[in-house]
Amino acid sequence: MKLPAAFRNSKGMIGAVLVLAILLVAVIAPMLIPDDWATRMDMRARLSPPTWAHPLGTDQLGRDLMYRVLLGAHTSVFIASSAVLMSIVIGLPLGLISGYVGRMTDNVLMRLVDTLLSFPALLLALTISAVLGPNLQNTIIAIGIAFTPYLARIIRGEALRVSHMPYVEAARTAGNSDRRLIVRHILPNIMPAVIVQSTISLAFAILAEAGLSFLGLGTQPPDASWGLMIQASRDYLDRAPWTALVPGAAVALTVLGLNMFGDALRDALDPRSKGAS
Amino acid sequence: MLDSDRPLVSIDNLRVEFKGEDGPIVAVENVSFTIAPGETVCVVGESGSGKSVTSLSLMRLVEFGGGEITGGRLEFARDSGTTDLAHADPDTMRSIRGDEIGMIFQEPMTSLNPVFTIERQMTDGLRVHRGLSAGKARARALELLQQVRIPEPERRLKQYPHELSGGMRQRVVIAMAMACEPRLLIADEPTTALDVTIQAEILSLIDRLKRETGMAVLFITHDMAVVAQMADRVVVMFRGNLVEEGPVEEIFTNPKQDYTRALLAAVPRLGEMRGKPAPEPMRLIGAEPARSAPVPAAKPKPLLEVSNLTTRYPVKGGLFRRTIANVHAVEDVSFTINKGETLALVGESGCGKSSCGRSILRLTEPSSGQVLLDRSDITSLNDRDLRRAWRDMQMVFQDPFASLNPYMRLSEQVAEPLINFQLAAGSELKDRIATLFDRVELPRSFMTRFPHELSGGQRQRVAIARALAVNPKLIIADEAVSALDVSVQAQVLNLMMELQAELGVSFLFISHDMAVVERVSHRVGVMYLGRLVEIGSRAQVFENPQHPYTRSLMSAVPIADPTRRSIREDVQFRPIPSPVFPLGHEPGASEYDEVSPGHLVLKNGLGASVQ
Amino acid sequence: MSYILNRILSMLLTLFLISAVTFAVTNILPGDVAMIIMGTQSNPEALAGLRESLGLNDPLLAQYGRWIGGMLSGDWGTSLVFKEPIAPLLLQKMTASALIVLLSMTIALVCAVPLGVWAAVYPNRWQDTASSSASLLGVSLPDFFWGIMMILLFARGLGWLPSSGFVDPGEDVLGAFRHALLPSLALGLGLMAHLTRMTRATMTGILNQEFIRVARAKGLGERTVIWRYALANAVGPVMTVAGLQVGYLFGSIIVVESLFNYTGMGWLTYQGLLNRDIPLIQATVFVVAAVVMLANLLVDLLYVVVDPRIRLS
Repeated sequence: MKLPAAFRNSKGMIGAVLVLAILLVAVIAPMLIPDDWATRMDMRARLSPPTWAHPLGTDQLGRDLMYRVLLGAHTSVFIASSAVLMSIVIGLPLGLISGYVGRMTDNVLMRLVDTLLSFPALLLALTISAVLGPNLQNTIIAIGIAFTPYLARIIRGEALRVSHMPYVEAARTAGNSDRRLIVRHILPNIMPAVIVQSTISLAFAILAEAGLSFLGLGTQPPDASWGLMIQASRDYLDRAPWTALVPGAAVALTVLGLNMFGDALRDALDPRSKGAS
Repeated sequence: MLDSDRPLVSIDNLRVEFKGEDGPIVAVENVSFTIAPGETVCVVGESGSGKSVTSLSLMRLVEFGGGEITGGRLEFARDSGTTDLAHADPDTMRSIRGDEIGMIFQEPMTSLNPVFTIERQMTDGLRVHRGLSAGKARARALELLQQVRIPEPERRLKQYPHELSGGMRQRVVIAMAMACEPRLLIADEPTTALDVTIQAEILSLIDRLKRETGMAVLFITHDMAVVAQMADRVVVMFRGNLVEEGPVEEIFTNPKQDYTRALLAAVPRLGEMRGKPAPEPMRLIGAEPARSAPVPAAKPKPLLEVSNLTTRYPVKGGLFRRTIANVHAVEDVSFTINKGETLALVGESGCGKSSCGRSILRLTEPSSGQVLLDRSDITSLNDRDLRRAWRDMQMVFQDPFASLNPYMRLSEQVAEPLINFQLAAGSELKDRIATLFDRVELPRSFMTRFPHELSGGQRQRVAIARALAVNPKLIIADEAVSALDVSVQAQVLNLMMELQAELGVSFLFISHDMAVVERVSHRVGVMYLGRLVEIGSRAQVFENPQHPYTRSLMSAVPIADPTRRSIREDVQFRPIPSPVFPLGHEPGASEYDEVSPGHLVLKNGLGASVQ
Repeated sequence: MSYILNRILSMLLTLFLISAVTFAVTNILPGDVAMIIMGTQSNPEALAGLRESLGLNDPLLAQYGRWIGGMLSGDWGTSLVFKEPIAPLLLQKMTASALIVLLSMTIALVCAVPLGVWAAVYPNRWQDTASSSASLLGVSLPDFFWGIMMILLFARGLGWLPSSGFVDPGEDVLGAFRHALLPSLALGLGLMAHLTRMTRATMTGILNQEFIRVARAKGLGERTVIWRYALANAVGPVMTVAGLQVGYLFGSIIVVESLFNYTGMGWLTYQGLLNRDIPLIQATVFVVAAVVMLANLLVDLLYVVVDPRIRLS
């Protein structure tokens, strides 16, 4: 099978490689790297710049940054994926029903969604996290709820568009029940948008987790996430900037990879590329 | 002064390429022809023939779309001698475009900048090429609007494009192209997106302007009837190559190339069904001869009885988005379709023919009226029974690209109605589908394919197969062939007629194309502003139209015969009024005169007339 | 006209819903206000007494009503952390944040629009690759990262600008500007990257439309076609996107302001969240959402000016 054109250029390839690499690290690193390599404190080597012993330097407690950042991938990716999954589980049915049924249901549901969209996502996530009490699970819930309206809106738009396509009308006259229509005709045609939006949401979720943890309202020690690492480095920016740069670069690479991949995905799944002969 | 012996334009061995995924795509190759001063040359071809690319190359606009002229010369005669446009520098081209060569395009709805006034768009070309001041440019713009016979020209200048109708916008675009009195007007499918009456107006306008100014016209089209009416010489293109060229009469009466002959055979000509009792498949070249032809039944039995059908759509607006008015899409329409026969509904855009078809199937809910299919009342069925009723009525939609689910295999889509209505299962299901594919003349290997792997015509065949799967009594074809190329259209029409002869299925054929309708119908109904203004047998309506609207519609249709030029001196049809009425407005019932048995004409005197 | 009235009515309804959601989030989710104020180790009787005096045992609807009534009459509650009335706090901090939001939006638009147009005009050439790569990088980096970069570079490194603090523009305009510049840049860079991408996408869409081809066919120069014909159509959509970004900005200022110790709305909200100061949280969240909604309303109204199709229907 030929690789779709959108992925044959460098942006798509680089994005795909980055995403794959980060995923690999997130899944495999906890299996290969024993916990104490990342938590072992060596006070004599604290805040040391990159050396042979510690290729990416150490933090203020003498912990090796390379291992911490590799293990941090697992936490950050897990939180981000769970949050996006949650937003899909809530937002997909919401948007689908709204777009398919239309009229009053659509008006009411979208009015609610628009209200939620007036709250900046980060603010909503921070508030939910603060009220629930910040920890790993609540971070997932907070980010998940904050992202749901964006996904719901986009899915509603797609569901609306697809519901009015002639093939859906034809399927109706072919005797399909509402359930079959939704499952066999509408859902497959909104999946491309869902996939692209999920990829982009994933990128934002990583950024959101970093932001929440940076402010102390996300993951808490001893869970090591990248945001927490950056937060810890705040007091040492002058003496040891690499303590911020290492986790920051990890976030940047992941988000960059996801954005590139998402862009290429969007181009590859563009419905306009289907149907031309 | 230009030498009238020398050609104005001489295209020599043109070759144009585009960048493709796997290497360059040749869009046009080895194309050579000339245009003499004051002559109209029509370039005709189906989609993919390269006709548009040729005209865009002349203006060097093809580069903006990713194309490149990789060979040939485009000699254009100017005051200073001839210039090869293919190798001219950008400044030269800019001074020629809009000044010595004007161009108009296909889509009037998007040809004008939505955020600029008409005045601004008409004058900026003038100010660039002629250096006119704002005042002088405005005066000239007014002159041009009058030249193209736009009503209330002063008012139009201050308006924005969205306030003008499609026909008026096209007039403005023509005025813009004429602003600097060009020697050549390139018209790229300028009437394809317009209604037949507006098309007639625009064609007569172009013809008049040509005679008044002596300019040459390069007219791109896919419509052989338009070619017959407009051309002095014809260039036929196919897949990027020039197939044949010559004077228009010769091309029509004595085509030399096979492709040209096949193309001409596929064009339905208005008037050639005179005296024939029933629809007749077209005699196509290069395709198998049609197997059978529909015959009118000795004793017609009614299948579909529509009585007083009315469908209105609400218009929302104002505070709280209340309903402030209604669109009277279908107003008191009644007709009958007999078993094994085809009734055509013709009319221009907005006349309600599509709404009528959709209301019969209840894809759109009618506001009032009754629809009986084989004596059972469709209009009073609940949702579940309606779904079962669709076993007997199916629809084929206009857009072959949008009427198939891009993510479902074709065999599955054809199988769905059979599965849902529990008509077949297992191996019997597979056999039924294979038979259906055979019937619509598609190879069985297509069954496992997806829609994007097929062409438009092939997709439409799949849609017909899907509609046939349940053996319906009635198929509603809503502009089912309008989006297809001429040769493909003819094949699909022949298929429909064969199916009718073999299976006895009735068709409600909705179309705006009079010539096609003449070919396929037993009876014809003409719609205007939601009402049926005339209905009768095909012979009655076509050979003896009574209602003023039917008459003006007939007079506007171009005839595919160069010896019968019907472009009259400045045609102006009354614009179609809006079917939007305030709430509670109750227009009267439709009353008809029976002019001859079965031939009904609306009494109220609605309809356009030639001014 | 009715378009404007409809939008305003819609806005009022949304404002009401925003207040309901704010109240719900801060009150329905688990968390005991009394315990937050007095600490988890406090004497249960004292906790009960505090709950009574704060009216926390009343039905939720009554509490909600009291809150709304208070807001309408100017009493926005008292902050548990700052022990001051919230309304004047809000006003002061809002002005501070307004300064950096406006500044960052200006910086972003001024740079993003030309860059985006430039990339759209030369698709897939070096101009496009450079611009698109840079903006891709820009949207991938978190705001606080830009903030840290700014601090390291301009404050600690070059020493040109202060890295923390806020000065009231009423007192010292230049000082206010100097303190606002780095936070605005930190916010603006990410915003600029996003707006560049959006502008490029919008322009590409416009340049593919028929009327652009018609304009060229008239013999108009490329510069006129792009900077007059095309750009005039891009103003509306870009404005809409920028307006939507105001919401995003008001989220980002929470991080950026605390990084720079810039005492604006974001900083205030953060203090409230950190200390579980429920009245302050309710007030700040409501105000921010209301401001975001108003910004969107403003954009909708401006659209009427920009697009004659809306103006004249």
